[in-house]
Amino acid sequence: MSNPTVEKIIKEINAYTPEAMSEHVGIVTAVGDGVVAIDGLSKAVMSEVILFDEGKGKSLAKSMEAEGELFGVILNLEEDGVRAAILGDTARVAEGMTVKSTGRVLSVPSGEELLGRVVNALGEPIDGKGPFKKTTLMPVERQASGVIDRKSVSVPVQTGIKAIDAMIPIGRGQRELIIGDRATGKTTIAIDTIISQRFEPPATRPICIYVAIGQKQSKTARIVEQLKGAGALEYTIVVDAPASAPAALQYLAPFSGASIGEYFMDRGKDVIVIYDDLSKQAVAYRQLSLLLRRPPGREAYPGDIFYLHSRLLERAACLSEEKGGGSLTALPIIETQDGDVSGYIPTNVISITDGQIFLVAELFNKGIRPAIDVGISVSRVGSAAQKKAMKVVAGGLKLELAQFRELEAFMQFAQDLDKATADRIASGQRMVEVLKQKNGAPIRVEMQVAILYAAGQKFFADVPVANVTKVEAQLSEFLDGQYSKTLAEIKKTGVLLDELKKELNRAGEEFRLAHPELFSQKS
Amino acid sequence: MTMPESYARALLKVVADGQTPKKAVAALRDTLVRSGRERLLPKIARALSRIAARHERKDRVVLTVAREKDATRALKDLAETLSRMGVAAKDVEVDEDEHVVGGWRLEGKERLVDASYKKFLLDMYNRTTNTV
Repeated sequence: MSNPTVEKIIKEINAYTPEAMSEHVGIVTAVGDGVVAIDGLSKAVMSEVILFDEGKGKSLAKSMEAEGELFGVILNLEEDGVRAAILGDTARVAEGMTVKSTGRVLSVPSGEELLGRVVNALGEPIDGKGPFKKTTLMPVERQASGVIDRKSVSVPVQTGIKAIDAMIPIGRGQRELIIGDRATGKTTIAIDTIISQRFEPPATRPICIYVAIGQKQSKTARIVEQLKGAGALEYTIVVDAPASAPAALQYLAPFSGASIGEYFMDRGKDVIVIYDDLSKQAVAYRQLSLLLRRPPGREAYPGDIFYLHSRLLERAACLSEEKGGGSLTALPIIETQDGDVSGYIPTNVISITDGQIFLVAELFNKGIRPAIDVGISVSRVGSAAQKKAMKVVAGGLKLELAQFRELEAFMQFAQDLDKATADRIASGQRMVEVLKQKNGAPIRVEMQVAILYAAGQKFFADVPVANVTKVEAQLSEFLDGQYSKTLAEIKKTGVLLDELKKELNRAGEEFRLAHPELFSQKS
Repeated sequence: MTMPESYARALLKVVADGQTPKKAVAALRDTLVRSGRERLLPKIARALSRIAARHERKDRVVLTVAREKDATRALKDLAETLSRMGVAAKDVEVDEDEHVVGGWRLEGKERLVDASYKKFLLDMYNRTTNTV
């Protein structure tokens, strides 16, 4: 007989030695909304994975039709049994079903093979590119690194966004919250940050993990396409727990993302994990907790909602050299309602993170994008990691913009302004234009330094406000073509030496001579 | 745990501690009447029956075979397992289910020992087709 399948079956039958293993089991007594109550399993442990035995009472043919195994995870240990969340299709679970203990806590596969792939909250591939061959299982719940194992943040994460890299710098290993109303550009900042990593040398390029929680699948598909188009998918892993996924998977997805990231961090690599967004995870956890009959607290969230986010974000770390020197940067996203940052979940996450980038709908609607409110956006540890060249050019930027915002309100009522105030307003208006940036177009750090240096030197002072963005783009092109060596030197040294400043000044003058029409008028 | 369930458990404990069921129920009834909660009585009765069913299910040991005649051999094979579980062969309930194809499946006291042909065939199918 030559059929390989038949041969395989014959081999299996010949190798069969009847052995009956005794398994620890329980019985499903109630099921609903993704949560099951189970009698028995008295030796089970928290977060243990359980397997639903769907075959009982079914014919062999019916059992063979099942779409893979159905797992659950234990979330409550009670007097007479346990309560667990179903990690899959709830409709497949029925009362009276036998549930087997697996003896292992919930883990997800991680490894180099995951790069460029889209997985679900359990680490299973969902992009149709086939199963993983060689992966390492990482526990979903893991104790965060201790104080001794950590070191201070010292290397920057270049987001490629001028406003952030200059005024709210992020360090590798930091936790920086991105917060704002819906449709204010939160995800855009996260995606631009991922795309921007392509400017980093491959050896030190951070691995990016984008965790989509409760998002529309069409949005995630669009993001994957965008990353692919920008050549960023090769160093990115997408963990997707869409809005249609059970609450349990939406609750687990950020932890899975952190676990996948920790694999790389433990091996000395830098990782950026984006949790988009934790408000939806909190809602999923609230649903799960209520179904598990845990006592509700404020806004019906369970009492451990703070711990949910703190234990997740504490896993962000910059490890010491003894521990391999890897890092995990967390960029959680929180959606506010009507700009209210004093909500329960926003205040919790603000207090856990090392700073926040606050996005405002009003600025967004005015066309100021990224719509960052620099007044209340802050990075508590990132300045230690900022490149010296950037520090030099961005030193007074935040203050200048804050003063401009104050004067801007005043400007609408005042008719006659003194020269100093008028100059400050004009300068502020141009600076706002300089900091505007298109989405999906991150800028290399050396170019950012050059542009901000030019802005600081009042290069745009006699450019009409409406043309600043255009002139800036042309200047970038000019610098790229004519002064690439200067830019390379800024990148290499990370310092803006006097000689480099002179070269940038010269570049500005040459550009001005080449394009006098851009500088002729004022407005 | 709901309130009727708590009362049902308390009732069972009192009976287990030596009080007669009649006295215990009477005392419970008096207490409920005094606190204006006599409407809980039917719910407590239902909770009691649920607890009893749960206990019964816990103690139940079921041997599933494809044909009745397989049971004798299965019980012989299972002698050691049953003694480890603290169950006498006569207390094992035999259930006939042609879906197990052959062999046997023993379930009870939070343990499952599956030596059915169905399990073997299913495992083999999954391994061969790599569906799992």
